[in-house]
Amino acid sequence: MKYELVAGFETHVELATDTKIFCSCTTQFGGEPNTHCCPICIGLPGTLPKLNKKVVEYAIRAGLATNCEIAEISKMDRKNYCYPDLPKAYQISQYDKPLCEHGYIQLSNGRKIRILRIHIEEDAGKLVHRRGDTLVDYNRGGVPLIEIVTEPDFRSVDEAKEYVEKLQNIMRYIGVSDCKMQEGSMRCDVNISVRPEGSEKLGTRTEIKNMNSITFIAKAMEYEYGRQVDLIESGEKVIQETLRYDDATNTTSGMRGKEDANDYRYFRDPDLVTINVPRSLVDEIRESLPELPEEKKERYINELGLPEADALLLTKYRKIAEYFESASEGTKTPKTAANFIIGQIFRTVETESEKEQFDVSVSAENLRELITLLDSGKIRMNLAKSTLDKMLETGKKASELIDEKDMGGLDEGALDELCRQAVENNPKAVSDYLAGKEKAVKAMVGFVMKNSRGKADAALAEQKIIKLVKNS
Amino acid sequence: MVTKEEIMKIAILSKLSVEDDEIDKLTKDMGEIISFADTINNAADEGVEFDNINNLSNAFREDKVVPSLEREKILANAKDSDDGCFMVKNIMK
Amino acid sequence: MSESKIARLHEGLVSKEFSCRELTEKYIEAVNKDNGALNAYVTVTPETALETASIVDDKIARGEEISMLEGIPMTLKDNISTDGIRTTCCSKILEDYTPIYDATVWKILKAQNAVLLGKTNMDEFAMGSSCETSYFGGAKNPHNINHVAGGSSGGVASAVGGNIAVYGLGSDTGGSIRQPASFCGIVGMKPTYGAVSRYGLIAYASSLDQIGPITTSVEDTAVVYDAISQYDTMDSTSQGRKGESVRSTLKNDIKGMKIGIAREYLEGIRDDVRNAVEEAVEVYRSLGAEIVYFDLPSLKYALPVYYIIACAEASSNLGRYDGIRYGYKAQNYRDVNDMVKKTRSTGFGDEVKRRILLGTYVLSSGYYDAYYKKAQNLRGKIVQSFKKAFEVCDVILAPTVPMTAFENGHAVSDPVETYMTDICTVPVNICGLPGISVPCGFDNKGMPIGMQLIGDSFCESKILNAAWQYEKAAGKFKPAGFGVKL
Repeated sequence: MKYELVAGFETHVELATDTKIFCSCTTQFGGEPNTHCCPICIGLPGTLPKLNKKVVEYAIRAGLATNCEIAEISKMDRKNYCYPDLPKAYQISQYDKPLCEHGYIQLSNGRKIRILRIHIEEDAGKLVHRRGDTLVDYNRGGVPLIEIVTEPDFRSVDEAKEYVEKLQNIMRYIGVSDCKMQEGSMRCDVNISVRPEGSEKLGTRTEIKNMNSITFIAKAMEYEYGRQVDLIESGEKVIQETLRYDDATNTTSGMRGKEDANDYRYFRDPDLVTINVPRSLVDEIRESLPELPEEKKERYINELGLPEADALLLTKYRKIAEYFESASEGTKTPKTAANFIIGQIFRTVETESEKEQFDVSVSAENLRELITLLDSGKIRMNLAKSTLDKMLETGKKASELIDEKDMGGLDEGALDELCRQAVENNPKAVSDYLAGKEKAVKAMVGFVMKNSRGKADAALAEQKIIKLVKNS
Repeated sequence: MVTKEEIMKIAILSKLSVEDDEIDKLTKDMGEIISFADTINNAADEGVEFDNINNLSNAFREDKVVPSLEREKILANAKDSDDGCFMVKNIMK
Repeated sequence: MSESKIARLHEGLVSKEFSCRELTEKYIEAVNKDNGALNAYVTVTPETALETASIVDDKIARGEEISMLEGIPMTLKDNISTDGIRTTCCSKILEDYTPIYDATVWKILKAQNAVLLGKTNMDEFAMGSSCETSYFGGAKNPHNINHVAGGSSGGVASAVGGNIAVYGLGSDTGGSIRQPASFCGIVGMKPTYGAVSRYGLIAYASSLDQIGPITTSVEDTAVVYDAISQYDTMDSTSQGRKGESVRSTLKNDIKGMKIGIAREYLEGIRDDVRNAVEEAVEVYRSLGAEIVYFDLPSLKYALPVYYIIACAEASSNLGRYDGIRYGYKAQNYRDVNDMVKKTRSTGFGDEVKRRILLGTYVLSSGYYDAYYKKAQNLRGKIVQSFKKAFEVCDVILAPTVPMTAFENGHAVSDPVETYMTDICTVPVNICGLPGISVPCGFDNKGMPIGMQLIGDSFCESKILNAAWQYEKAAGKFKPAGFGVKL
């Protein structure tokens, strides 16, 4: 029997605000333990939370970017559980009135992953276990989070991977989070169940907690899918439980602890007042949203005429798209800039994080200058390409690298003369060509290019040479 | 009537331990307190919702960093600390 | 009749009749002499008191103007955070806790050079009506030390009633300012929810807690309230005082003021208490006020509603006492979880544990709707009925407590019976209204009786005005035999 995977995601994203959600301590990552703390975020008796306005605005931004409805009235609730990393023994979160609901993210296969809700909450501190001692650092305690919860709409690991990448991308585009999974500013919990293909009924699900890499998510899901199918096929039952993924062994295992007393006793936090979201604020935030990657990609394809593959590469990171848009501005065709970026500039940014930063030695303005020279016919493509390589190496401008005498096209007479010389000086190529080796013409074109210092139009030269050879 | 088992369950949630010799008295006391709370069972409460006293909304703070407190102060009241962290020692080792 | 002690001492300081140091020393001596009997203070701070006094004396010597509260010896209930001065909530779990920040009210008063004599006794975490759940033993009633001072702000009431502090700040969650003020024959006001910042007040029940003054006269309460009723950005529920200084409206004529009597408030009240309140009604009639009678049937649910909501919030507020960051920590344990459980089980007293358990119970799954949700709805209903009441009257007059101060040790035996003593005070907290208790008589053993004036939200000036007029016409304040003789 074949089994279908059914999965849903709960993703925690740390918001890129300057201060924590309920106090004015910095949210900076790292720092010596307990140096980003105050009476409020270590939960000293008598302290009270005061909500950071930007957290609400960022959450609304995230909601609008994922097609959510924004609540008019929202509130904060307490989720009560006792754990040493949670200084008040409750997490201030949102229970039944989240800020955003009913959104979706569309995948490349056309399927929509429905977003159930996005709510705001505070992060917990960090525990370190050292020789059996438990050490607690509250620097991260109170850092603002949004939790993005999807419906169980995933049917494959590939869909899950694409979703996480897309989500990451959107959050970065709209500037609400850096989504650095390795630093924990984006963490995923995945609910997984399996069911016989064609079945409508959902199977018993397990939840894999706190994964911080796309590779691990994929591996963990694959492992857990296999484990559940094996259980069912061997006549056993899947038990609803919370699991941890161990990347060293590539297995999942049950988490003990929190589970035994799982009653969060949610109630409205009496220390905080109602959040009233005026529609004018929602409109204002909507106006301020940048073009999202999906919209951009569609525009690149439909309006700029780029191939889908190019559009995808150029829109993956906001900085690349901005670079491309700046470099191609006012040029004859955006395709030229796209080709230069994908063909040559991409070679200098290998890793994904380098691509994301897109800190390249040729500025968008300098690339635009090069393209303008090409567009105006002052230089030919070959020269442009070799110049771009030099620009990447040296960081210099095209106009600093190209000789004045190399500028400008070759007049017809000069080209004819060079072609004539090419035929005359390459008797072997002529005879090879006449013997049917069509590639032999390239050698003669090369002669023309070399002797014109790249100024000749290679395609035109080839036509002229063939004509000369055939008529000889 | 509240049972011993229920008392044990809420004691676990409350992170309180109940000794064997306390449970009977505590169950009795809690039984009385809960039946006192039960007097609201028959009260009509339709159509009324309570939001918050004074119906306040939107008390926000601007996103502006204020320097954190010195760590010495943060840790000043901790019984055990090490390496700048609060600590729960493993006393079994 | 009781006059403003603060105003008199202020005059004395300004006119150099005595120095602030002399005044402070007098109070420190009185504390040393009488605190043994009253058990009002759990921590004394003579050094900081004298330091402040010399600052005030320097100011006076330089001819600078001083505010009304400047240089006046006072006290704070021990659940109000004081930077560098231990703040225990009278619990073993916070026995050696020293805050690293100031509560907003203390910040305000400190800036005015209030002379803090020390921190005063209270029921543990403000949970109790006798002060006897205090880890340090209960504060005693200055009118008879065989009786309790009341609770939970028993220490403040005992100190102010016994004149070992000029005034004090208490907190009132279900009557914890008004009840001990009534028991000790002095004045105590619970302001409108939001009028005074809660920042730094160690929480019992966040939606009900409010800090307020305990003094020997209505005018002193007005002076202190004027000083502390400021908007505070640190407290999301803070609004500050609305309108002018309440002290400036104290002496307004109350002819035509409508004083409301809700019949339910007088049911089940001891006869001598009811008689004293009824006599006060006659005083008001004679002052030209109009008396309006009405029913408040929703009052019968006030007490269970109060206990459900207060305990639910408390169970969450008190979750943080786990021994890790501050406070008592168990020494023998298997693991972290065991340490937390042992810390809490040993650190909290029985009444606190009972309320945590009740609060956990009413919030837990399966019970939330029947208890917590229902109590919230009924809270809404009680709020509505009071709003209606204030359509027909300006202030409501009621007893503060159905009885007078009980003898020591009486309150501890039966938890539910003890809860009943809060019947007249909790509605004010449920609705976030201001309420003031003023002395209105004595029982046959000489223990004080108090009456309560309740106003609509942010109408402190009305209840203070009515209270001041009563005090002037028929005030029943009588100094107890302790403390500084002025």
